[in-house]
Amino acid sequence: MNVPYAWLKEFIPNLPALEVVADTFPQMGLGVEAVHLMPAPPQGVVIGLVETVTPIKGSDHLKACTVFDGETRYSVVCGAPNVRQGMRSALAKPGVLLPGAGFTVEKRKMMGVASEGVLCSPKELALYDYGGGLIVFGDDAELGQELASYWPEEFVLELEITPNRADAFSMLGVARDLAAKLGLDYQHPAEAILLPDPDLDDGITVKLEDEQGCPRFSLRRIDNVTVKPSPIWLQRRLAQLGLRPRNNIVDITNFVTFELGHPSHAYDLDHIVDKTIVVRRAHEGEKVITLTEQEVELVPEDMVITMPDNLGGTTPIGLAGVIGGLHDSINPDTTSVALELAHWDPVMIRKTAKRHGIATDAHYRFERGVDQNLPPLASARASALIADLAGGTLHLGFTDVGKEKALPQIGFRPSRVAFLTSMDVPLVLQQRYLEALGFKVELQADDNWLVTAPSWRFDMAIEEDLIEEVARMYGYEHVAETVPDMHFVPEGYDSTHRQLRNLLMGLGLQEALTYVFTSDAELARANAPVAVVKLANPQGVERSVLRTALYPGLLEAARTNHHQTGVAFFEIGRIFKETETEYLSILMRGEWVKESWQKGQKIDFYSFKGLLEKLAAQLQVSFRLEPEKVTFLHPGVSAAVYWDDKKVGHMGRLHPEVAARYELDEAFVAELELPLSFGKLRFSDFVRQPHAERDLAILVPKTLTYAQLAEFVRDQAGERLELLRPFDVYEGQQVPEGQKSMALRLWFRHPERSLTDEEVDGFMVNIIQHLKGLGYTIRDS
Amino acid sequence: MLDQALDEIKTSPNLPALQDLRVKYLGKKGLVTEQLKGLGSLEPEARKLAGQEINKLKTVINDAIDAKKAELELNALNEKLEKESLDVTLPGRHYSPGGLHLLTQVINKLSDVFRSMGYDVEVGPELEDEWHNFDALNTPGWHPARDLQDTFWTTDGRVMRTHTSPMQVRYMETHKPPFKIVVPGKVYRNEALDATHEAQFHQLEALVVGERVTLADLKGAINQMAIALMGKGTKTRLQPSYFPFVEPGAEFAIWWTHPRTGKEEWLELGGCGMVHPNVFKAVGYENVTGFAFGFGIERLAMVSYGIPDIRYFYQSDMRVLEQFRGVL
Repeated sequence: MNVPYAWLKEFIPNLPALEVVADTFPQMGLGVEAVHLMPAPPQGVVIGLVETVTPIKGSDHLKACTVFDGETRYSVVCGAPNVRQGMRSALAKPGVLLPGAGFTVEKRKMMGVASEGVLCSPKELALYDYGGGLIVFGDDAELGQELASYWPEEFVLELEITPNRADAFSMLGVARDLAAKLGLDYQHPAEAILLPDPDLDDGITVKLEDEQGCPRFSLRRIDNVTVKPSPIWLQRRLAQLGLRPRNNIVDITNFVTFELGHPSHAYDLDHIVDKTIVVRRAHEGEKVITLTEQEVELVPEDMVITMPDNLGGTTPIGLAGVIGGLHDSINPDTTSVALELAHWDPVMIRKTAKRHGIATDAHYRFERGVDQNLPPLASARASALIADLAGGTLHLGFTDVGKEKALPQIGFRPSRVAFLTSMDVPLVLQQRYLEALGFKVELQADDNWLVTAPSWRFDMAIEEDLIEEVARMYGYEHVAETVPDMHFVPEGYDSTHRQLRNLLMGLGLQEALTYVFTSDAELARANAPVAVVKLANPQGVERSVLRTALYPGLLEAARTNHHQTGVAFFEIGRIFKETETEYLSILMRGEWVKESWQKGQKIDFYSFKGLLEKLAAQLQVSFRLEPEKVTFLHPGVSAAVYWDDKKVGHMGRLHPEVAARYELDEAFVAELELPLSFGKLRFSDFVRQPHAERDLAILVPKTLTYAQLAEFVRDQAGERLELLRPFDVYEGQQVPEGQKSMALRLWFRHPERSLTDEEVDGFMVNIIQHLKGLGYTIRDS
Repeated sequence: MLDQALDEIKTSPNLPALQDLRVKYLGKKGLVTEQLKGLGSLEPEARKLAGQEINKLKTVINDAIDAKKAELELNALNEKLEKESLDVTLPGRHYSPGGLHLLTQVINKLSDVFRSMGYDVEVGPELEDEWHNFDALNTPGWHPARDLQDTFWTTDGRVMRTHTSPMQVRYMETHKPPFKIVVPGKVYRNEALDATHEAQFHQLEALVVGERVTLADLKGAINQMAIALMGKGTKTRLQPSYFPFVEPGAEFAIWWTHPRTGKEEWLELGGCGMVHPNVFKAVGYENVTGFAFGFGIERLAMVSYGIPDIRYFYQSDMRVLEQFRGVL
């Protein structure tokens, strides 16, 4: 909402300086986005009358014009489509720099015709954003006058109005709020206006068929109007509001929308059959062509304004509360106007606007709330302006169907202001604030007031709403800073996996955060599970589904960092399949220890596994892998991860096929479901007896895993076996084809005494016998 | 003999040679020992005198050998140390240092601040239902306030949470007041992407509910956070604003020194207010008041560290990530 400072001053005569106003608005909840200085047109731009318009031979659009500034006639070549004889426009004389066009006007010849100036569009003058034709003035613009004398530079405050403050979508609303805050008086521009008499017949018939959709509908008739350009002051105001001036009638309806906050619509009454309007629900499949020449197919949830057709029914002429129709719109030949001020159900308006994708100043206001008691006054104001600026004759009658809104009454305890805000606002001030804002206050008891909200407030339902009104008038700057007095003992658990993140960092991994939205194609590229959750309104196919795994994001991160000799990433985040689950993903590729004057080291599977084993050791849980193939991992280097004996996910070498798609070489990936459990800590005494060590080398088939062999050994080793670890795995010379040699180191220990050699040898014999029984060969050490 | 012995000891080149000298003079068959053996043939008086002489000689030689030994050992040690010395200016073995994402660090820091004030840190689902994201937060179906948050909907009618506030409802559904919590997490908005807008970003939400929690408590909590972030001397500003789930509602700003311009100014950070009675009604709370506030983490990180484009947070470019490893 643009608020011209000078216009605001018309409402509040004692308005303080601009800086004060700009500081005050935010203290009332009306945010100031910016303060703009809207410039005047440059000096040397004068009002000119186009006396002759002659097409230039050889050009399809340029015309030779004579422009008279009251003293001198200028030859001007003009290409604007709307240039015509008798119009008043802006003539820029040579030497003028046109701010919106970026060039300086010079005398020159075009197509053999002298051009001694430029007829300007609003855009060229930087007055408002319309470059499709010349700016057009009425006869209030005196020939030869500097345009700047009509159109001075002005400051405009751009306010950000929150959706609850529909009352502040107008100059009147903003002024009323500001005046209440500053303790000043404000003037209502239509307060003293003569209201029409709804009992007098004006020859117009209105039938209201759906009172839920249209609680109120009024028409005012004005005859003998002349449609012409608006006076400059009106054009200037509209430009400051961000609107494009059209003609006096339409401009007045827009002006009053912003002045008083009530949208209105003007019909060419002569185009309305039988001067009869029926307001009803649309029929399925009915169509209306809007002012903007868009054909809209209607549904029964839309409200329409209709007039009789020649088949005994009615035909739509406007999409109620959103946009008028083309058929009956104001045109240069209009002489008789019916001015509509109506009310519409906010939710229906909102749905209609959304459904048809049409956003207008009118719908924006109706869906948020428009003062339902305002139509008589706003209608009178707009009609008076039309009579004044279009030379019309006002009918004294007024067609007004529907009812006024019942005003909400709210019980209010002034003591609750201090209870909720800690601000001690004196009762007399509380009452003054509420009344200045238009509330009616009835003091029923000391701490029991009955407050009636004004008809323009739509955000008043409960006591807290009134507390906020008092608080924002008193000023949030008076709020103290305290600490809540409560007994709450936090549980303090680590909901954000902070400890895990820190350990992963300590392992040398860099945390990344990647996109949750991805695409079917991306998931397929990464051999990830197909998407389960899809967006109904994605920003593009590339971000149209929710990720089903974290590692594809890390693959993308690795690709982004292809210039690095290696990357080590982790991410903790949510994936979305049948349920939303938190996961940890790790991806490593390339140099783990960077090459320098010493050799570097590339990450390999066992280093990768070692890091996770280290993590498990730090968190004091068991960790083991079992071979298991998954789509995204190399089938020969792919495993299920058992963390604390529970399967939590997979890890292994990235499938080379996937790696190639991401232009990666060898990479290693883990994808684990969170939370990862931590070990339970409890002291147990350590054994002080010495251990006995034995080594054993066995020839086994290549396909036998270490885990399988270890299990065979453990099966027979007895309870004294404390530690078993491989110390060499060898294939090649001296080992038969298809076999490998695995060398194991075993530690035996008794909790209370030393083991004898004989005892330990006995354990080893059992193991060796068992392995031999399984068909394996024991190698001599 | 003494002169010769001392000369030999002095010029002895190493420890084995010195040991040989010890044997040569002081060993069982050493020259000095031999002399002692020869004493038996002397008169007792002469034997005593000669014995003293020989013992003296033995002591002198022994001391000389010990001294030489110490000297040789010191030389050997020095030589060894010399040999073992390294060029400490060469780079160390280069292990990947690892790091936390800057947003994690900022969330950690904020969590610390609130933990120190006795808050619990909670997290909640990012894929929400309409009830928790909107309706229960006093934003029913056709409320224009829904336009304030451009929403991603899923084809099955769920919603990517547009703020962390649904966790207010979820927490209240399962806990009894009084309590103090903060909720960090990802949120999603269907906005045109540019340097300051991403479809996904992070917020931190605070919710405090009790018998009588006031607007002053809200301002106090924000100010404590501001002091933790910006240091003593900062201040907090509330200005009226509108969020459907609070009443009264406000925006908050904190006074800070802009790191690039050096200018002191208000940094508008987020929205806040007293929990709307309709929200309490939705979760079945009665006779309590509470405050809530929330703000964007990315924006705070961007202004604090001079990051020009929000998209850097999610592009995982090491050239960005390695600038913020985890010392915050």
